Amino acid sequence: MTLTVKNIGSGYGDRGIIDEISFTVPSGKIMALFGHNGAGKSTTLRAILGLLPLSQGSISLDDQRIDQLSVSDRIEKGLRLLPEGRGVFPDLTVAENLSVVAAANSKKGVDGTAGTTIEKVYSLFPVLAEKRNLLAGNMSGGQQQMLAFGLAILGSPRCVLLEEPSVGLQPDLVEELFGYFRVICREHDMSAILIEHRITSALKIVDDVLILNNGRMVYHDNVEATRNHDIWQYF
Amino acid sequence: MQLILQLVLDGIVHGCALGLIAMTFSYIYVTTGIFHVAHAGILTLGGYLAWYFTGVGVPFPVAVAIAVAGSAAVGVLIQKGVYEPLMKRRSTPLVQLIASIGIVAVIQNLLAIVFSPNVLQFEMLPWRKSSLHLGSLDISYPQLLTVIVSLVAALGLLLFSSRTALGRRARAVASNRSFAEIARLRPYDVYVYVVAIGAGLVAIPGIFLGVDQALQPYSSLGLLLTAVIAMIAGGVGSLPGAFLVALVLGVLQNLVLAMVPGRWSQALTFAIFITFILMRPTGLFRIRMQRAS
Repeated sequence: MTLTVKNIGSGYGDRGIIDEISFTVPSGKIMALFGHNGAGKSTTLRAILGLLPLSQGSISLDDQRIDQLSVSDRIEKGLRLLPEGRGVFPDLTVAENLSVVAAANSKKGVDGTAGTTIEKVYSLFPVLAEKRNLLAGNMSGGQQQMLAFGLAILGSPRCVLLEEPSVGLQPDLVEELFGYFRVICREHDMSAILIEHRITSALKIVDDVLILNNGRMVYHDNVEATRNHDIWQYF
Repeated sequence: MQLILQLVLDGIVHGCALGLIAMTFSYIYVTTGIFHVAHAGILTLGGYLAWYFTGVGVPFPVAVAIAVAGSAAVGVLIQKGVYEPLMKRRSTPLVQLIASIGIVAVIQNLLAIVFSPNVLQFEMLPWRKSSLHLGSLDISYPQLLTVIVSLVAALGLLLFSSRTALGRRARAVASNRSFAEIARLRPYDVYVYVVAIGAGLVAIPGIFLGVDQALQPYSSLGLLLTAVIAMIAGGVGSLPGAFLVALVLGVLQNLVLAMVPGRWSQALTFAIFITFILMRPTGLFRIRMQRAS
């Protein structure tokens, strides 16, 4: 599902955080969203999901405007967010976390398949299978992040917004996770935006790169061009 | 000694009814975040609905079912008509509490207008004065039914919460409300189910306490207050904790009758509560609740 963002501005109350942000993430592609702390990355994702109001601009999924829709309606259209730090249900077991989210997102994808299943999440993160009866809130930060990632890709989301998915994970696991994520994006025509501080790992799987500085776009190009560009000047 | 044992038995009956009130209040509070004082109004309403339908000739079990369904329906109306608009407008918990207090007042006064503010009894049920003799102890049929039905309902709520998809969904919403919305669990739909279930179940003690003792429009806030104490002392979020503490409080409130006049019963309950909560502020059973803002 293609996500198109045109000239959006957003913020908290009267305080504008981002302004004149425009990009397109085609089906099956991943766009990295980089920038220093406070650059407006999370604000951009929250504005796309409808958690923050737009002051200007428009957002579309496959040419259908969604910026007038409520959060739940946007989620119904296929948007999914992995929020930083709070993407699990701490008082439920691992198995219960997966089952409630799977039940709520059982709609088949565009390819007619169920997408990522609970079994697939367990095979991707065997430690979750071992701890399936443990309360999520009693697991380590890294294990909670694995679960949060599993919940974000469960079922057949059409467009996934990932906010620092690698926090607390070991580097080799991050590579594996990102590799799988790239595969499912391609297989299920899923578009994605990835906010990630591990820039080198992220550049291995993304197609485009957008860099924000003080709420404005300062760089936007494909990943091949980015590899030959000194992007550190923007941080 | 016989008096003490009889008071303990009466206390267990009272405690079971209180336990179901505490559990259902806790279930609604933990899931929706609303301090649902209107629960007291629905508790009373359930008793009056059963009284009315039994009075017009409906068999008592059917009247109970109608009262439970009617109370659940009123719960849905309260959630959809009052709480949900307030939540969507991001009102503060204080505003929601005031609204809930207003609903109790409306329900109580409507009951007083429709049924009169006087005490009503289930005179149409001849078995209400019959008792079962357990050695030297007596337990009336309404008391026996209060214990059985309250225990079954409490167990049913626990099983529903832990074993069903909707129960798990409600616990997920209670655990992390903002993520529940993002994860497509539709928290507002869950609130409607939870308030309906809580309202339907709280009608049960309202009915059986009414059969055992009497109905009075303004009598339920004291019961709710004790139930809230049980919820806090049992550990907010722990349904078994709320029930167990309510059971203990029910027995204590009856036992003190052997030592001090009845009017001191409530004061003693609060004294015990304050002492307990000072020693163990998180309650008897620690449940880590991570409620989203």
